Amino acid sequence: MAKELPQGAGSGVGALGVDRRSGSAWERGLRWASRHARILAPLLTLGVLVAFFGVASDRFLDVANFQNIFSQVGRVAIAATGITFVLLCAEIDLSIASVASLAGVISAFFYVGTWLDLGSWGILVGLVAGALIGLINGFFVSRLGIPSFMMTLAMLTISVGLATWVTQGRAIYEAPPLLRTLGGSGSRLFGVPVVAIVAGVVLLLGGFVLGYTKFGRYVYMTGGNREAAEMSGVNTGQVVMVCLMISGLTAGIAGMLDVGRNSNASATAGTDLLLAAIAAVVLGGTSLFGGEGGIRNTVLGVLIFGVLSNGLNLLPNVSVYVKDALEGIILVGALLLNVVALRVERVRTRAE
Amino acid sequence: MASTQHGLSGTSASAGPAVPRAPSLLATDPRPLLLELRGVTKRFGGATALNAVDFDLASGEIHGLLGENGAGKSTLMKILSGVHQPDEGELTFRGEAVRFGSPAEAKAHGIGMIFQELSAIGSLSVAENVFRGRQPVNRLGLVDWKRMNAEATATLREVGVDLDATARVGDLPLGAQQLVEIAWVISSGAEVIILDEPTSALSPPEAERLFTLMRQLRLRGKSLIFISHFLEDVLAVSDRVTILKNSRKVATLPNEGLTKGRLIELMIGKDATDLAAGYEQATALPPPVAGSAVLEIAGLTAPGAFADVDLTVRAGEIVGIFGFLGAGMTEVARALFGQLRPTAGTTRLGGMGIAPRSPREAKRLGIAYLTENRRATLFPRHEIYKNVTLAHLDRLVPPVFRSGAEVAVAERQVRRTGVRPANPQLLAGHLSGGNQQKVVLAKWLTRQPRLLILNEPTRGMDVGAKREVLDLVKELKAEGVAILLLSTEPETVIAECDRVLVMSKGRVTREFGGGERVSKDLLMGHA
Repeated sequence: MAKELPQGAGSGVGALGVDRRSGSAWERGLRWASRHARILAPLLTLGVLVAFFGVASDRFLDVANFQNIFSQVGRVAIAATGITFVLLCAEIDLSIASVASLAGVISAFFYVGTWLDLGSWGILVGLVAGALIGLINGFFVSRLGIPSFMMTLAMLTISVGLATWVTQGRAIYEAPPLLRTLGGSGSRLFGVPVVAIVAGVVLLLGGFVLGYTKFGRYVYMTGGNREAAEMSGVNTGQVVMVCLMISGLTAGIAGMLDVGRNSNASATAGTDLLLAAIAAVVLGGTSLFGGEGGIRNTVLGVLIFGVLSNGLNLLPNVSVYVKDALEGIILVGALLLNVVALRVERVRTRAE
Repeated sequence: MASTQHGLSGTSASAGPAVPRAPSLLATDPRPLLLELRGVTKRFGGATALNAVDFDLASGEIHGLLGENGAGKSTLMKILSGVHQPDEGELTFRGEAVRFGSPAEAKAHGIGMIFQELSAIGSLSVAENVFRGRQPVNRLGLVDWKRMNAEATATLREVGVDLDATARVGDLPLGAQQLVEIAWVISSGAEVIILDEPTSALSPPEAERLFTLMRQLRLRGKSLIFISHFLEDVLAVSDRVTILKNSRKVATLPNEGLTKGRLIELMIGKDATDLAAGYEQATALPPPVAGSAVLEIAGLTAPGAFADVDLTVRAGEIVGIFGFLGAGMTEVARALFGQLRPTAGTTRLGGMGIAPRSPREAKRLGIAYLTENRRATLFPRHEIYKNVTLAHLDRLVPPVFRSGAEVAVAERQVRRTGVRPANPQLLAGHLSGGNQQKVVLAKWLTRQPRLLILNEPTRGMDVGAKREVLDLVKELKAEGVAILLLSTEPETVIAECDRVLVMSKGRVTREFGGGERVSKDLLMGHA
């Protein structure tokens, strides 16, 4: 197939070895679109949702509502950054929600200081705990060969158990002031929710690592073809381990910011984080089978997720009781669009 | 390389295309014909895989089928087992014209196939495997274990195999697994049993046991087709032998009076019209290479894979290993690349003892390995440049990088190896097979290796791409790289190597040194 392609030497030759100038504007547009289907499909979903809610609700497009959306999705975006790493290397992390609450509980526990008073340094302990649990996940998955699905499922239970033990089954009604500043829903900087700024920093860092460092490349290649990566001398076990550690770390950050928002910490807080973060990453177009996607996709996915749950709340005629079902149905529609778009991409680029 | 080619002299060059046709079986043997193929032709696209082939099989006969890779053996068997349908020609089974539209139809007629890659399910018991697809059930529709185990034991006894019916098949040695597979085929009512390379992974006693069983089955009136690269094995059990070459039948001959040498002659053909004629005669290998030894292997052994392998590759030398599939060459390469742990023997690289435990470690030592399996080395959904730079990314780019400099490196490599189109931004999966192979080679050449292992480097390539890759290998040789070339194609090793080793069933059976004369039939005779 590729043998018939002209040599890609000239400057007018596109990335697919096909002359960019050939064909009508429409055809060129279509070719471009099919090559970028993975990013265009979620972009289209987001656009449609924003347009729909903008028309359907008179409050949706208010600045205050966008502040709302951004403060709601901050926590999901942070956890989703870690999940992006994990999905890119074709693994999964089901423990993030309980790791998040464990980290949150730990930070509050050491702030309250009934056993040991570390003040705000408890936040650091929470971070270390999140990363450590992720590292343990990674060790068992990559070195001992337990499937990440099972390992992180077990870790889900372990983390909830530890959090319950630390809090003795009660909630801690205090939170380090730093967390309240960073995570509080009313906490803003120049009108932007601080939690969204934190999320932005985490996403940027994640995007930087994935796009501009060797480790990031190894993540993509490990997910793209683990055997080939191993055969090229990539330490795929270590890559998987570090990705799961990153996921634990971001889950920990998300959980502690949640403590800041709620001003209390409990073992059962924030269980919706797991589905939200994974759904956001997949909605954004990152492959569940590894190797394809990235932080740009995750940003879109998180926004889709945030706009959808926020917008449905604003619709005057939708009962709260059908909201969840409706949200699920729309998510399926968005996922379907991704699948169709990728099929188009594959068929068209192969035809070229 | 100065591999001299001699004229059309040499031994028995007279055996041309005019091979005498085998006398009709009916004339010499009272056994009735069970299966008959007349003028069967099969084309795939423009390529003809089988060209007007006749083949017949009598009741109670073991019929050996020989031919080089690509001669058409597997196409013929796939037609018999219903996987492919012939474009021309007819099939007669028990005197009736038949057409097998699917493997299920062939099976319903009593044709059973045992593939080289066994299809027995390792996690199931012997009995479950024997009754695969038709387990006996009791009144409740549940599997009747007692009956199944008893009947399986009886079936196995019948074919002369004494195995515990409740044993896990995955725990049995390969030879026993094969017997279970045969029991399965027979108990599902097969009259014709096709065995594809059944002995390649068996130890000699296991193979002997298989032959005994094959003879017993023949006595019971079953007919067997025996496909093998191992000529001794074919001669040991077959009543008749059919030889295919370049999609055509060369001859069907009775076993009596056949020799290994005669079979090789028939398989590779000695007629001048043969494209590969240049290789048929003994070719003198080039004089010994004087470079210092880069790779030295002594007594290397990995049970079940290879044993007692001695091997030296010098700087600027290409050493070839020839052998059939399953001869253990790939395993030797895997051991050198840290994917298989040998249990005995020593490996030295540049005089230092090494025992790489991972490809990563092997890579750091300066070993590069181009595998026979492209799927295991290519990232089809990623751009060519990412494929090319991966192995030595840490040396090619700074810790924080943009793809610009990287693409430039990749572009240089892609041009050097002649990848077409030479556009590093293309997805690797969109390239043709030969160009994908060049991409993998380009990857390993981003940093000059000390030892380059090439496993079937040119398989499936067109002539032009083949030449380009081999020229590049020569260039590396001139630069002092030690090269180990593994191939199942005798032509390749004869034409490209300074020294040639032959491996068979995990052992080195012969080494042809510098200056020595070597030919295709010599190589095949030792394999």
